[in-house]
Amino acid sequence: MINLDRILGLVLLTLAVAYGWGAFNFPVAFAGPESVGPATFPKILAFIVGACSLYMLVKPDSLEEGEGFEYKALPELLLVLAVLVLYVFMMEPLGFVLSTAIMVAVLCWRMGVKPLYAGVTGIVSSTLVFLLFHFGLALPLPIGPWEV
Amino acid sequence: METLGLLMDGFNTALSLENFLYALLGCFIGTLIGALPGLGPANGVAIMIPLAFTLGLPPETALIMLTSVYAGAMYGGRISSILLNIPGDEPAMMTCLDGYPMARQGKAAEALALSALASFIGSLVATIGLIFLAPVLARFALSFGAAEYFALVVLAFATLGGVTGKNPVKSALAAGIGLAIATVGIDLSTGTQRYTFDVLELFEGIDFIVAIVGLFAVSELLLFIEAHQGSTPRSEVKMNPLRLSFASVVQILPTSLRGGVLGFIAGVLPGAGASLGSFVSYTLEKRIVGSKGYFGEGDPRGIAAPEAGNNGAASGALVPMLTLGIPGSATTAVLLAMLVSFNITPGPLMFTQNADIVWGVIAALLLGNILLLLLNIPLVGIFVRLLSIPPRYLLPIVTMVAFVGVYAISRSAFDLCFMIAFGVMGYIFRKAEIPLVPIILGMLLGPEMEKNLRHVMQIHDGDWTMLWDSSLSIGLWCIALAGLILPAIIGPILRVRMRRTAD
Repeated sequence: MINLDRILGLVLLTLAVAYGWGAFNFPVAFAGPESVGPATFPKILAFIVGACSLYMLVKPDSLEEGEGFEYKALPELLLVLAVLVLYVFMMEPLGFVLSTAIMVAVLCWRMGVKPLYAGVTGIVSSTLVFLLFHFGLALPLPIGPWEV
Repeated sequence: METLGLLMDGFNTALSLENFLYALLGCFIGTLIGALPGLGPANGVAIMIPLAFTLGLPPETALIMLTSVYAGAMYGGRISSILLNIPGDEPAMMTCLDGYPMARQGKAAEALALSALASFIGSLVATIGLIFLAPVLARFALSFGAAEYFALVVLAFATLGGVTGKNPVKSALAAGIGLAIATVGIDLSTGTQRYTFDVLELFEGIDFIVAIVGLFAVSELLLFIEAHQGSTPRSEVKMNPLRLSFASVVQILPTSLRGGVLGFIAGVLPGAGASLGSFVSYTLEKRIVGSKGYFGEGDPRGIAAPEAGNNGAASGALVPMLTLGIPGSATTAVLLAMLVSFNITPGPLMFTQNADIVWGVIAALLLGNILLLLLNIPLVGIFVRLLSIPPRYLLPIVTMVAFVGVYAISRSAFDLCFMIAFGVMGYIFRKAEIPLVPIILGMLLGPEMEKNLRHVMQIHDGDWTMLWDSSLSIGLWCIALAGLILPAIIGPILRVRMRRTAD
């Protein structure tokens, strides 16, 4: 099995190089070049992050039994992430109550709650939070298609 | 006696009806956060920040509420240690040792009451220490120049992992990433755009509240999903009616006082932290009591020592946070985030410029502790019942609260997506055992750190040796170096010992 440290080391090293390369290509400031300008600090950081990720790549921590990445959980995690991203974009079109109820219900269900209870939890909690924010705190949340 | 006068003013602030009610609410929520497994104190306080914003609270009220949440979370951690043998957070690990055996002997109520008392005494001792030490340290820190400040931040990063920390390379990596995230946006002194990719939302930089909530709350959800830990561990322990004898209270008094002092010291020192505070006070107590005690089998002193130590350390950790602007733990880092977002620059100047806020917070800490003691002894039954809410209902609701909070501040889908992205990052980093706190600290302290660096360079015309020119800055660099090297030597030994005591 590939060590997570190695993968992360590689990814972060790439990012550090890109970050450092970006620092060398900042537009020259209006006031003219300075000895220590906006690029100095990012260059130092690129070096630190690069060096540390190189170390991780070369000498990863040995993983103990039962630790590390659970590949079996990956589809589940992707599903949950998809639900969260969808939730963000559905909040305004669907309205807060409906979108939140669906989000909470799906999450509860995926964590092992029976569908009926999950649905009830979603509806009750989202309605309560909506009422609290909308009327209690006077902070309007998106109402969605039911807006008159 | 200037200090006492200021403290009295602080009480005036804290005791106004509105602030008092928010303190009470904070204590209640805090205990809940601490008690529920899977909701650590840093996580809990992080979710509360956007809510405090949306409530439109003035800074002192928001700070008082969140300080109470902080104090409450430290109290709450012990409940699951004692009843379920699961520490709510790392420092509460030592409380399991005697707390759970005592609960199994049918003395759960006594264990909870005595630990509440010990927590109170520990916090009280440490808060008194804070009242006297903080102004002195703040006055001393006023002599810091830009070079010293830069060295101080390096020290903070170097010691953040603590002597019990694992891999210093990973801590350094995390710090670098945090600082790098902080450079995104328009450079304040030249107006240069850095890493904005012409995206309007990035011009002002990445909001650290969005990052914190994502790193803590969303990653927690993902971890739970992965582990399928949706069900609650059943408690085999039954609550019993409280029968507290005067003798047992007297018995734990000296223990709690000692624990409080030790905890305070551990909290103030860079790199020690609450886990070490509770560990040291437990082992010391065991040595002092000696063979007369029955530690590990439900000795009340074995609960009092770590609880006093851990709460003492929690208050002690506020000293470097308030006076130097350098937090020593995850939760104080989150508190710092809130200060910064209220446009209050923590550090020595805060004691002169925002004296009312500082002393209001300290007064709130004292008040919060009294409230917590009063809340905890009669209401412990309610907390115990709430403890049985399974995470599979709780975490989705917590996620919803996190989303609503962040949405209510900015009303932008962009921020919410960033929060999810930070959640994924937090999840992966936790899997790889890369600490998250340096990332947050980097985001918080990055701008100041860079400003000071450039300041030094501008004064001395780009001479890098000026960073270690004064004796004070050399001292700070030395401590920072020690903080990086020592854990590699002492860390493994100490961790083995802590684990051996815990087993």
